Amino acid sequence: MIWETVIGLEIHAQLSTKSKLFSGGSTKFGAESNTHVDLVDMGLPGVLPVANKEAFYKAIKFGLATGAQINQISSFDRKNYFYPDLPKGYQITQMTKPIVEKGSIKVSTENGEKIINITRAHLEEDAGKSIHDLFEGETGVDLNRAGTPLLEIVSEPEISTAKEAVAYFKAIRQLVTFLDICDGNMAQGSMRCDVNVSIKKIDDKELGTRAELKNINSFKFIEKAINFEIERQIAVIESGESVVQETRLYDSDKNETRSMRSKEEANDYRYFPCPDLLPVVISDKELNEIKDNLPELPEEKQNRYISEIGLESSEAKIISSSKAMADMFEEASKKTDDAKMIAKWLVGDISALLNKENIEIDESKLSPENFGKLIKRISDNTISGKIAKSVLEEVWENGNDVDEIIKAKGLIQIQDESLLEQIAIQVLDSNPDQVAAYRSGKDKLLGFFVGQVMKETQGKANPKSVNVILKKILS
Amino acid sequence: MDKKTVTTISYLSRLKIDPEKEEKITNDLENIIKFVDQLNDAETSDIEPLTNPLEKTAKTRTDQVTAKNLKKELLEIGPSSNEDYFLVPRVVE
Repeated sequence: MIWETVIGLEIHAQLSTKSKLFSGGSTKFGAESNTHVDLVDMGLPGVLPVANKEAFYKAIKFGLATGAQINQISSFDRKNYFYPDLPKGYQITQMTKPIVEKGSIKVSTENGEKIINITRAHLEEDAGKSIHDLFEGETGVDLNRAGTPLLEIVSEPEISTAKEAVAYFKAIRQLVTFLDICDGNMAQGSMRCDVNVSIKKIDDKELGTRAELKNINSFKFIEKAINFEIERQIAVIESGESVVQETRLYDSDKNETRSMRSKEEANDYRYFPCPDLLPVVISDKELNEIKDNLPELPEEKQNRYISEIGLESSEAKIISSSKAMADMFEEASKKTDDAKMIAKWLVGDISALLNKENIEIDESKLSPENFGKLIKRISDNTISGKIAKSVLEEVWENGNDVDEIIKAKGLIQIQDESLLEQIAIQVLDSNPDQVAAYRSGKDKLLGFFVGQVMKETQGKANPKSVNVILKKILS
Repeated sequence: MDKKTVTTISYLSRLKIDPEKEEKITNDLENIIKFVDQLNDAETSDIEPLTNPLEKTAKTRTDQVTAKNLKKELLEIGPSSNEDYFLVPRVVE
Protein backbone atom coordinates (compact mmCIF):
# COMPACT_ATOMS: atom_id res chain seq x y z
CA MET A 1 0.00 0.00 0.00
CA ILE A 2 1.30 3.46 -0.84
CA TRP A 3 0.42 6.05 1.75
CA GLU A 4 0.37 9.77 1.31
CA THR A 5 1.23 12.02 4.23
CA VAL A 6 -0.66 15.22 4.93
CA ILE A 7 0.92 17.72 7.31
CA GLY A 8 -0.22 21.07 8.62
CA LEU A 9 1.76 23.30 10.99
CA GLU A 10 0.63 25.69 13.69
CA ILE A 11 3.59 27.90 14.45
CA HIS A 12 3.59 30.09 17.53
CA ALA A 13 5.85 33.08 17.04
CA GLN A 14 6.39 35.27 20.07
CA LEU A 15 6.02 38.86 18.94
CA SER A 16 8.90 41.05 20.03
CA THR A 17 6.92 43.73 21.79
CA LYS A 18 8.23 45.30 24.98
CA SER A 19 5.01 44.76 26.90
CA LYS A 20 2.35 42.09 26.96
CA LEU A 21 -0.67 41.72 24.71
CA PHE A 22 -3.17 43.07 27.25
CA SER A 23 -1.09 44.60 30.04
CA GLY A 24 1.95 46.71 30.77
CA GLY A 25 3.90 43.70 32.05
CA SER A 26 7.37 43.25 30.55
CA THR A 27 7.98 40.43 28.05
CA LYS A 28 11.72 40.27 28.66
CA PHE A 29 13.07 36.73 28.64
CA GLY A 30 14.99 35.23 31.52
CA ALA A 31 13.84 37.49 34.35
CA GLU A 32 13.59 36.31 37.94
CA SER A 33 10.38 34.31 38.40
CA ASN A 34 7.10 36.20 38.83
CA THR A 35 8.67 39.66 38.58
CA HIS A 36 7.05 40.59 35.25
CA VAL A 37 3.48 40.00 36.27
CA ASP A 38 0.82 42.65 36.01
CA LEU A 39 -2.53 42.43 37.78
CA VAL A 40 -4.15 41.72 34.39
CA ASP A 41 -1.77 38.80 33.79
CA MET A 42 -2.80 37.44 37.18
CA GLY A 43 -6.46 37.54 36.19
CA LEU A 44 -7.37 39.35 39.39
CA PRO A 45 -11.00 40.40 39.82
CA GLY A 46 -11.90 43.84 38.57
CA VAL A 47 -9.08 44.29 36.07
CA LEU A 48 -9.63 44.74 32.35
CA PRO A 49 -7.36 43.87 29.43
CA VAL A 50 -6.37 46.63 26.98
CA ALA A 51 -4.89 45.49 23.67
CA ASN A 52 -1.33 46.46 22.72
CA LYS A 53 -1.47 48.14 19.31
CA GLU A 54 2.11 47.23 18.49
CA ALA A 55 1.21 43.51 18.50
CA PHE A 56 -1.38 44.26 15.80
CA TYR A 57 1.15 46.19 13.74
CA LYS A 58 3.58 43.29 13.91
CA ALA A 59 0.89 40.80 12.92
CA ILE A 60 -0.08 43.06 10.00
CA LYS A 61 3.53 43.15 8.80
CA PHE A 62 3.43 39.38 8.62
CA GLY A 63 0.13 39.51 6.75
CA LEU A 64 1.42 42.01 4.20
CA ALA A 65 4.62 40.05 3.64
CA THR A 66 2.64 36.88 2.92
CA GLY A 67 0.18 38.61 0.59
CA ALA A 68 -2.64 37.94 3.02
CA GLN A 69 -5.95 39.60 3.70
CA ILE A 70 -5.73 42.01 6.63
CA ASN A 71 -8.92 42.20 8.65
CA GLN A 72 -9.05 45.82 9.73
CA ILE A 73 -11.70 44.89 12.26
CA SER A 74 -10.68 41.93 14.35
CA SER A 75 -11.98 40.66 17.65
CA PHE A 76 -11.07 38.42 20.55
CA ASP A 77 -12.56 35.22 21.90
CA ARG A 78 -12.06 33.16 25.00
CA LYS A 79 -10.73 29.63 24.79
CA ASN A 80 -11.62 27.95 28.07
CA TYR A 81 -9.55 25.33 29.82
CA PHE A 82 -8.10 24.77 33.24
CA TYR A 83 -4.39 24.63 33.81
CA PRO A 84 -2.46 26.18 36.68
CA ASP A 85 -0.28 28.34 34.43
CA LEU A 86 -3.38 29.92 32.87
CA PRO A 87 -4.59 32.13 35.72
CA LYS A 88 -7.87 33.31 34.20
CA GLY A 89 -9.06 29.82 33.25
CA TYR A 90 -9.22 30.92 29.62
CA GLN A 91 -6.86 32.11 26.95
CA ILE A 92 -7.73 35.23 24.96
CA THR A 93 -7.33 34.43 21.27
CA GLN A 94 -8.86 35.32 17.91
CA MET A 95 -11.17 32.53 16.82
CA THR A 96 -13.81 34.17 14.65
CA LYS A 97 -12.13 37.30 13.30
CA PRO A 98 -8.37 36.87 13.13
CA ILE A 99 -6.21 39.82 12.12
CA VAL A 100 -4.65 37.94 9.16
CA GLU A 101 -6.21 35.42 6.76
CA LYS A 102 -5.34 33.67 3.50
CA GLY A 103 -1.67 34.30 2.90
CA SER A 104 1.03 32.17 1.37
CA ILE A 105 4.78 31.67 1.46
CA LYS A 106 7.33 30.34 -1.00
CA VAL A 107 9.36 27.44 0.38
CA SER A 108 12.47 25.83 -1.12
CA THR A 109 12.12 22.06 -0.91
CA GLU A 110 14.18 19.19 -2.25
CA ASN A 111 11.89 19.17 -5.27
CA GLY A 112 12.17 22.87 -5.99
CA GLU A 113 10.02 25.77 -4.89
CA LYS A 114 6.56 25.20 -3.47
CA ILE A 115 3.90 27.65 -2.36
CA ILE A 116 2.36 26.77 1.00
CA ASN A 117 -0.87 28.53 1.85
CA ILE A 118 -1.43 30.08 5.23
CA THR A 119 -4.99 29.71 6.48
CA ARG A 120 -4.75 32.40 9.12
CA ALA A 121 -2.47 34.16 11.56
CA HIS A 122 -4.07 35.35 14.75
CA LEU A 123 -3.06 37.08 17.95
CA GLU A 124 -3.28 35.31 21.27
CA GLU A 125 -1.71 35.42 24.71
CA ASP A 126 0.83 32.92 25.97
CA ALA A 127 0.40 31.00 29.23
CA GLY A 128 2.81 31.01 32.18
CA LYS A 129 5.30 28.27 32.89
CA SER A 130 4.82 25.22 35.08
CA ILE A 131 7.85 23.79 36.81
CA HIS A 132 7.24 20.14 37.57
CA ASP A 133 10.58 18.85 38.73
CA LEU A 134 11.62 21.30 41.41
CA PHE A 135 9.27 20.56 44.27
CA GLU A 136 8.22 17.32 45.91
CA GLY A 137 4.60 16.58 45.07
CA GLU A 138 3.94 20.12 43.90
CA THR A 139 4.16 22.13 40.71
CA GLY A 140 5.63 25.63 40.75
CA VAL A 141 4.07 28.32 38.58
CA ASP A 142 5.94 31.27 37.07
CA LEU A 143 3.65 33.79 35.41
CA ASN A 144 6.31 35.96 33.74
CA ARG A 145 5.35 34.62 30.33
CA ALA A 146 1.60 34.81 30.93
CA GLY A 147 0.09 37.32 28.53
CA THR A 148 3.06 37.54 26.16
CA PRO A 149 1.78 38.17 22.62
CA LEU A 150 1.94 35.26 20.20
CA LEU A 151 1.16 35.15 16.53
CA GLU A 152 -0.24 31.73 15.73
CA ILE A 153 0.43 30.99 12.09
CA VAL A 154 -1.72 28.16 10.75
CA SER A 155 -0.79 26.51 7.47
CA GLU A 156 -3.14 24.67 5.16
CA PRO A 157 -2.62 20.89 5.26
CA GLU A 158 -0.48 21.07 2.13
CA ILE A 159 2.85 19.83 3.40
CA SER A 160 3.80 16.35 2.22
CA THR A 161 7.00 15.35 3.97
CA ALA A 162 8.86 15.92 7.21
CA LYS A 163 11.61 17.71 5.29
CA GLU A 164 9.08 19.99 3.66
CA ALA A 165 7.62 20.81 7.09
CA VAL A 166 11.10 21.83 8.25
CA ALA A 167 11.63 23.92 5.10
CA TYR A 168 8.31 25.67 5.72
CA PHE A 169 9.19 26.37 9.36
CA LYS A 170 12.56 27.75 8.26
CA ALA A 171 10.91 30.00 5.69
CA ILE A 172 8.51 31.37 8.31
CA ARG A 173 11.37 31.88 10.74
CA GLN A 174 13.42 33.70 8.12
CA LEU A 175 10.44 35.92 7.32
CA VAL A 176 9.53 36.87 10.90
CA THR A 177 13.14 37.66 11.75
CA PHE A 178 13.58 39.84 8.64
CA LEU A 179 10.32 41.60 9.49
CA ASP A 180 11.73 42.10 12.97
CA ILE A 181 8.50 40.94 14.58
CA CYS A 182 9.97 37.89 16.38
CA ASP A 183 13.54 37.12 17.39
CA GLY A 184 13.22 33.56 16.10
CA ASN A 185 15.11 32.20 19.09
CA MET A 186 14.03 28.59 19.31
CA ALA A 187 16.07 27.69 22.36
CA GLN A 188 14.25 30.36 24.36
CA GLY A 189 10.91 29.20 22.99
CA SER A 190 10.28 32.32 20.87
CA MET A 191 9.17 29.96 18.12
CA ARG A 192 7.41 26.67 18.75
CA CYS A 193 5.17 24.54 16.67
CA ASP A 194 2.37 22.01 16.79
CA VAL A 195 2.25 19.59 13.89
CA ASN A 196 -0.89 17.93 12.54
CA VAL A 197 -0.08 14.67 10.80
CA SER A 198 -2.37 12.24 9.02
CA ILE A 199 -1.99 9.65 6.32
CA LYS A 200 -4.33 8.55 3.57
CA LYS A 201 -4.36 6.17 0.63
CA ILE A 202 -2.99 7.95 -2.37
CA ASP A 203 -6.35 7.99 -4.22
CA ASP A 204 -8.50 8.94 -1.23
CA LYS A 205 -10.19 12.33 -1.48
CA GLU A 206 -10.85 12.61 2.25
CA LEU A 207 -8.08 13.33 4.75
CA GLY A 208 -7.26 10.67 7.31
CA THR A 209 -7.71 11.13 11.05
CA ARG A 210 -4.94 13.35 12.35
CA ALA A 211 -2.78 13.34 15.41
CA GLU A 212 -1.46 16.60 16.79
CA LEU A 213 2.17 16.67 17.92
CA LYS A 214 2.64 19.36 20.54
CA ASN A 215 5.21 21.99 21.25
CA ILE A 216 8.21 21.00 19.21
CA ASN A 217 10.98 23.56 19.33
CA SER A 218 13.79 22.48 17.05
CA PHE A 219 14.11 21.76 13.34
CA LYS A 220 15.67 18.40 14.04
CA PHE A 221 12.83 17.29 16.29
CA ILE A 222 10.14 18.42 13.84
CA GLU A 223 11.58 16.11 11.24
CA LYS A 224 12.11 13.19 13.62
CA ALA A 225 8.72 13.51 15.29
CA ILE A 226 6.86 13.60 11.97
CA ASN A 227 8.76 10.64 10.56
CA PHE A 228 8.10 8.61 13.70
CA GLU A 229 4.42 9.54 13.62
CA ILE A 230 4.01 8.60 9.93
CA GLU A 231 5.49 5.15 10.60
CA ARG A 232 3.29 4.73 13.65
CA GLN A 233 0.10 5.62 11.80
CA ILE A 234 0.93 3.31 8.90
CA ALA A 235 1.54 0.47 11.36
CA VAL A 236 -1.75 1.20 13.17
CA ILE A 237 -3.79 1.19 9.95
CA GLU A 238 -2.04 -1.77 8.38
CA SER A 239 -2.72 -3.83 11.49
CA GLY A 240 -6.42 -3.21 10.90
CA GLU A 241 -6.99 -0.59 13.56
CA SER A 242 -7.69 3.11 13.12
CA VAL A 243 -5.83 6.24 14.11
CA VAL A 244 -7.35 8.10 17.07
CA GLN A 245 -7.63 11.87 16.91
CA GLU A 246 -5.49 12.97 19.82
CA THR A 247 -2.66 15.10 21.04
CA ARG A 248 0.68 13.35 21.22
CA LEU A 249 3.90 14.44 22.86
CA TYR A 250 7.24 13.95 21.12
CA ASP A 251 9.89 12.54 23.44
CA SER A 252 13.26 13.48 21.97
CA ASP A 253 15.18 11.17 24.31
CA LYS A 254 13.33 8.08 23.13
CA ASN A 255 12.53 9.41 19.64
CA GLU A 256 8.87 8.50 19.90
CA THR A 257 5.50 10.18 20.18
CA ARG A 258 3.07 9.15 22.85
CA SER A 259 -0.47 9.94 23.77
CA MET A 260 -0.78 12.98 26.02
CA ARG A 261 -3.08 14.10 28.79
CA SER A 262 -6.14 12.26 29.87
CA LYS A 263 -8.11 15.50 29.73
CA GLU A 264 -8.30 14.97 26.00
CA GLU A 265 -11.74 13.36 26.36
CA ALA A 266 -13.02 16.61 27.77
CA ASN A 267 -11.30 18.77 25.20
CA ASP A 268 -14.07 21.26 24.67
CA TYR A 269 -12.81 24.80 24.68
CA ARG A 270 -16.26 26.45 24.60
CA TYR A 271 -15.08 29.45 22.57
CA PHE A 272 -17.13 32.59 22.91
CA PRO A 273 -16.52 36.30 22.20
CA CYS A 274 -14.51 37.89 25.01
CA PRO A 275 -16.88 40.35 26.68
CA ASP A 276 -13.96 42.31 28.14
CA LEU A 277 -12.62 43.39 24.77
CA LEU A 278 -14.19 45.44 22.00
CA PRO A 279 -13.26 44.83 18.37
CA VAL A 280 -9.95 46.45 17.43
CA VAL A 281 -10.00 48.63 14.33
CA ILE A 282 -6.99 49.36 12.16
CA SER A 283 -7.43 52.53 10.10
CA ASP A 284 -6.45 52.83 6.42
CA LYS A 285 -3.84 55.35 7.51
CA GLU A 286 -2.26 52.90 9.94
CA LEU A 287 -2.33 50.12 7.36
CA ASN A 288 -0.71 52.28 4.69
CA GLU A 289 1.95 53.46 7.08
CA ILE A 290 2.90 49.86 7.85
CA LYS A 291 2.86 49.03 4.15
CA ASP A 292 5.18 51.93 3.34
CA ASN A 293 7.62 50.96 6.06
CA LEU A 294 7.80 47.25 5.45
CA PRO A 295 11.47 46.20 5.71
CA GLU A 296 13.34 44.70 2.79
CA LEU A 297 12.69 40.97 2.57
CA PRO A 298 15.23 38.20 1.83
CA GLU A 299 14.42 37.90 -1.87
CA GLU A 300 14.58 41.66 -2.41
CA LYS A 301 17.87 41.82 -0.54
CA GLN A 302 19.31 39.01 -2.63
CA ASN A 303 18.39 40.79 -5.86
CA ARG A 304 19.78 44.09 -4.67
CA TYR A 305 23.08 42.52 -3.59
CA ILE A 306 23.49 41.14 -7.10
CA SER A 307 22.36 44.14 -9.14
CA GLU A 308 23.66 47.01 -7.02
CA ILE A 309 26.69 45.62 -5.21
CA GLY A 310 27.71 43.09 -7.80
CA LEU A 311 27.87 39.99 -5.63
CA GLU A 312 27.81 36.53 -7.17
CA SER A 313 24.30 35.06 -6.92
CA SER A 314 25.55 32.23 -4.71
CA GLU A 315 27.07 34.77 -2.30
CA ALA A 316 23.94 36.91 -2.31
CA LYS A 317 21.84 33.88 -1.51
CA ILE A 318 23.92 32.81 1.48
CA ILE A 319 24.16 36.33 2.88
CA SER A 320 20.43 37.04 2.55
CA SER A 321 19.50 33.68 4.05
CA SER A 322 19.40 35.00 7.60
CA LYS A 323 18.72 38.38 9.13
CA ALA A 324 21.85 38.12 11.28
CA MET A 325 24.06 37.45 8.23
CA ALA A 326 22.47 40.23 6.15
CA ASP A 327 22.81 42.69 9.04
CA MET A 328 26.48 41.76 9.46
CA PHE A 329 27.10 42.24 5.75
CA GLU A 330 25.38 45.61 5.58
CA GLU A 331 26.84 46.98 8.81
CA ALA A 332 30.39 45.83 8.07
CA SER A 333 30.16 47.19 4.51
CA LYS A 334 29.60 50.66 5.95
CA LYS A 335 33.08 50.50 7.48
CA THR A 336 34.89 49.82 4.21
CA ASP A 337 34.55 50.52 0.50
CA ASP A 338 34.94 46.91 -0.37
CA ALA A 339 31.57 45.20 0.10
CA LYS A 340 32.57 42.44 -2.29
CA MET A 341 35.53 41.52 -0.11
CA ILE A 342 33.21 41.54 2.94
CA ALA A 343 30.96 39.09 1.08
CA LYS A 344 33.87 36.82 0.13
CA TRP A 345 34.99 36.57 3.74
CA LEU A 346 31.46 36.04 5.03
CA VAL A 347 30.76 33.23 2.60
CA GLY A 348 34.24 31.75 2.97
CA ASP A 349 36.24 31.83 6.19
CA ILE A 350 33.45 33.10 8.42
CA SER A 351 30.82 30.63 7.22
CA ALA A 352 33.35 27.85 7.79
CA LEU A 353 33.87 29.00 11.39
CA LEU A 354 30.11 29.26 11.94
CA ASN A 355 29.50 25.78 10.56
CA LYS A 356 32.26 24.35 12.69
CA GLU A 357 30.70 25.73 15.86
CA ASN A 358 27.14 25.39 14.60
CA ILE A 359 26.17 28.92 15.62
CA GLU A 360 24.61 31.97 13.98
CA ILE A 361 26.78 34.96 13.29
CA ASP A 362 25.10 37.12 15.94
CA GLU A 363 26.14 34.52 18.52
CA SER A 364 29.81 34.97 17.62
CA LYS A 365 32.25 37.49 19.11
CA LEU A 366 32.72 39.19 15.76
CA SER A 367 31.15 42.65 15.63
CA PRO A 368 30.34 44.32 12.31
CA GLU A 369 32.67 47.22 13.22
CA ASN A 370 35.59 44.92 13.89
CA PHE A 371 34.90 42.85 10.80
CA GLY A 372 34.72 45.96 8.62
CA LYS A 373 37.99 47.12 10.13
CA LEU A 374 39.66 43.81 9.34
CA ILE A 375 38.71 44.07 5.68
CA LYS A 376 39.79 47.70 5.62
CA ARG A 377 43.23 46.76 6.92
CA ILE A 378 43.61 44.34 4.04
CA SER A 379 42.54 46.84 1.40
CA ASP A 380 44.77 49.62 2.76
CA ASN A 381 47.71 47.17 2.76
CA THR A 382 48.26 47.27 6.51
CA ILE A 383 48.10 43.48 6.63
CA SER A 384 48.12 40.72 4.07
CA GLY A 385 45.16 38.43 3.47
CA LYS A 386 47.06 35.62 5.10
CA ILE A 387 47.74 37.59 8.27
CA ALA A 388 44.09 38.67 8.22
CA LYS A 389 43.08 35.05 8.61
CA SER A 390 45.11 34.71 11.76
CA VAL A 391 43.74 38.03 13.05
CA LEU A 392 40.22 36.75 12.36
CA GLU A 393 40.95 33.62 14.34
CA GLU A 394 41.97 35.68 17.31
CA VAL A 395 38.96 37.99 17.03
CA TRP A 396 36.80 34.87 16.85
CA GLU A 397 38.32 33.63 20.10
CA ASN A 398 38.22 36.76 22.20
CA GLY A 399 36.50 39.56 20.27
CA ASN A 400 39.49 41.90 20.66
CA ASP A 401 39.87 44.97 18.48
CA VAL A 402 41.50 44.27 15.11
CA ASP A 403 43.88 47.23 15.28
CA GLU A 404 44.93 46.30 18.82
CA ILE A 405 45.74 42.75 17.71
CA ILE A 406 47.72 43.97 14.71
CA LYS A 407 49.67 46.38 16.90
CA ALA A 408 50.25 44.02 19.81
CA LYS A 409 51.47 41.19 17.62
CA GLY A 410 53.49 43.39 15.25
CA LEU A 411 51.62 42.13 12.22
CA ILE A 412 51.80 45.29 10.17
CA GLN A 413 52.82 44.55 6.62
CA ILE A 414 56.41 45.50 5.80
CA GLN A 415 56.19 48.60 3.61
CA ASP A 416 59.91 49.26 3.66
CA GLU A 417 61.05 48.18 0.18
CA SER A 418 64.76 48.19 1.07
CA LEU A 419 64.10 45.81 3.95
CA LEU A 420 62.19 43.49 1.61
CA GLU A 421 65.02 43.69 -0.89
CA GLN A 422 67.49 42.75 1.83
CA ILE A 423 65.42 39.71 2.80
CA ALA A 424 64.96 38.73 -0.85
CA ILE A 425 68.72 38.82 -1.45
CA GLN A 426 69.24 36.71 1.65
CA VAL A 427 66.75 34.14 0.40
CA LEU A 428 68.35 34.00 -3.06
CA ASP A 429 71.83 33.70 -1.58
CA SER A 430 70.86 30.71 0.52
CA ASN A 431 69.25 28.91 -2.44
CA PRO A 432 71.93 29.05 -5.18
CA ASP A 433 70.78 25.83 -6.90
CA GLN A 434 67.23 27.09 -7.35
CA VAL A 435 68.50 30.45 -8.59
CA ALA A 436 70.57 28.69 -11.22
CA ALA A 437 67.59 26.56 -12.23
CA TYR A 438 65.37 29.67 -12.45
CA ARG A 439 67.87 31.42 -14.66
CA SER A 440 68.03 28.41 -16.96
CA GLY A 441 64.29 28.74 -17.59
CA LYS A 442 62.37 27.23 -14.63
CA ASP A 443 60.08 30.26 -14.21
CA LYS A 444 57.85 28.48 -11.76
CA LEU A 445 60.54 28.72 -9.09
CA LEU A 446 59.61 32.37 -8.60
CA GLY A 447 56.70 31.14 -6.51
CA PHE A 448 59.13 29.20 -4.34
CA PHE A 449 61.21 32.35 -3.71
CA VAL A 450 58.11 34.38 -2.88
CA GLY A 451 57.11 31.68 -0.43
CA GLN A 452 60.51 31.76 1.22
CA VAL A 453 60.39 35.54 1.62
CA MET A 454 56.89 35.30 3.07
CA LYS A 455 58.17 32.70 5.50
CA GLU A 456 61.12 34.87 6.51
CA THR A 457 58.80 37.82 7.13
CA GLN A 458 56.24 35.64 8.93
CA GLY A 459 53.66 36.56 6.33
CA LYS A 460 54.07 40.27 6.88
CA ALA A 461 55.21 41.07 3.35
CA ASN A 462 52.85 41.94 0.53
CA PRO A 463 53.24 39.02 -1.91
CA LYS A 464 52.72 41.34 -4.89
CA SER A 465 55.58 43.64 -3.85
CA VAL A 466 57.80 40.62 -3.13
CA ASN A 467 57.07 39.35 -6.61
CA VAL A 468 58.15 42.61 -8.20
CA ILE A 469 61.29 42.89 -6.06
CA LEU A 470 62.39 39.31 -6.76
CA LYS A 471 61.92 39.72 -10.50
CA LYS A 472 63.97 42.91 -10.40
CA ILE A 473 66.86 41.25 -8.55
CA LEU A 474 66.80 38.10 -10.68
CA SER A 475 66.73 39.92 -14.00
CA MET B 1 -30.08 18.80 28.46
CA ASP B 2 -29.51 15.42 30.05
CA LYS B 3 -27.67 14.38 33.18
CA LYS B 4 -24.58 13.36 31.21
CA THR B 5 -24.23 16.82 29.69
CA VAL B 6 -24.60 18.38 33.11
CA THR B 7 -21.88 16.12 34.49
CA THR B 8 -19.56 17.05 31.62
CA ILE B 9 -20.17 20.76 32.02
CA SER B 10 -19.66 20.58 35.76
CA TYR B 11 -16.33 18.83 35.16
CA LEU B 12 -15.23 21.34 32.53
CA SER B 13 -16.08 24.28 34.76
CA ARG B 14 -14.72 22.59 37.87
CA LEU B 15 -18.00 23.19 39.72
CA LYS B 16 -19.08 20.39 42.00
CA ILE B 17 -22.76 19.50 41.86
CA ASP B 18 -24.44 17.90 44.82
CA PRO B 19 -25.92 14.61 43.50
CA GLU B 20 -29.21 15.38 45.23
CA LYS B 21 -29.54 18.60 43.30
CA GLU B 22 -28.53 17.10 39.97
CA GLU B 23 -32.06 16.61 38.76
CA LYS B 24 -33.19 20.08 39.76
CA ILE B 25 -30.18 21.67 38.10
CA THR B 26 -30.74 19.68 34.94
CA ASN B 27 -34.34 20.92 34.83
CA ASP B 28 -33.34 24.52 35.57
CA LEU B 29 -30.71 24.49 32.83
CA GLU B 30 -33.19 22.93 30.45
CA ASN B 31 -35.63 25.76 31.16
CA ILE B 32 -32.95 28.42 30.74
CA ILE B 33 -32.00 27.02 27.38
CA LYS B 34 -35.63 26.85 26.29
CA PHE B 35 -36.04 30.47 27.27
CA VAL B 36 -32.95 31.59 25.37
CA ASP B 37 -33.92 29.39 22.44
CA GLN B 38 -36.74 31.79 21.63
CA LEU B 39 -34.01 33.85 19.96
CA ASN B 40 -33.79 31.17 17.31
CA ASP B 41 -37.22 32.20 16.07
CA ALA B 42 -35.94 35.63 15.08
CA GLU B 43 -35.04 36.07 11.42
CA THR B 44 -31.28 36.80 11.39
CA SER B 45 -30.11 35.61 7.98
CA ASP B 46 -29.33 39.15 6.79
CA ILE B 47 -27.68 40.29 10.01
CA GLU B 48 -23.96 40.31 10.75
CA PRO B 49 -23.11 38.44 13.94
CA LEU B 50 -22.49 40.83 16.81
CA THR B 51 -19.39 40.33 18.93
CA ASN B 52 -20.29 43.07 21.36
CA PRO B 53 -23.48 44.97 22.19
CA LEU B 54 -21.58 48.25 22.43
CA GLU B 55 -21.27 49.95 19.09
CA LYS B 56 -17.80 51.07 19.92
CA THR B 57 -14.33 49.92 19.11
CA ALA B 58 -11.48 49.27 21.47
CA LYS B 59 -9.13 51.79 22.97
CA THR B 60 -5.64 50.39 22.68
CA ARG B 61 -2.34 50.77 24.50
CA THR B 62 1.03 51.89 23.22
CA ASP B 63 3.76 49.33 23.73
CA GLN B 64 5.16 50.40 27.07
CA VAL B 65 6.09 48.54 30.22
CA THR B 66 4.14 50.04 33.07
CA ALA B 67 3.95 47.14 35.52
CA LYS B 68 5.92 47.22 38.73
CA ASN B 69 7.59 44.21 40.24
CA LEU B 70 4.93 42.99 42.66
CA LYS B 71 6.41 39.54 43.14
CA LYS B 72 6.17 39.48 46.92
CA GLU B 73 2.64 40.88 47.11
CA LEU B 74 1.31 38.66 44.34
CA LEU B 75 2.83 35.47 45.72
CA GLU B 76 1.29 36.29 49.09
CA ILE B 77 -2.26 36.33 47.75
CA GLY B 78 -1.85 32.93 46.12
CA PRO B 79 -3.40 30.04 48.09
CA SER B 80 0.05 28.45 48.30
CA SER B 81 3.46 29.74 47.33
CA ASN B 82 7.11 29.79 48.29
CA GLU B 83 9.53 32.71 47.83
CA ASP B 84 9.67 32.22 44.04
CA TYR B 85 6.64 30.41 42.74
CA PHE B 86 2.94 29.87 43.16
CA LEU B 87 2.51 26.25 44.23
CA VAL B 88 -0.25 23.94 43.08
CA PRO B 89 -0.83 20.22 43.52
CA ARG B 90 1.52 18.39 41.18
CA VAL B 91 0.31 18.40 37.58
CA VAL B 92 1.87 15.66 35.52
CA GLU B 93 1.39 15.45 31.82
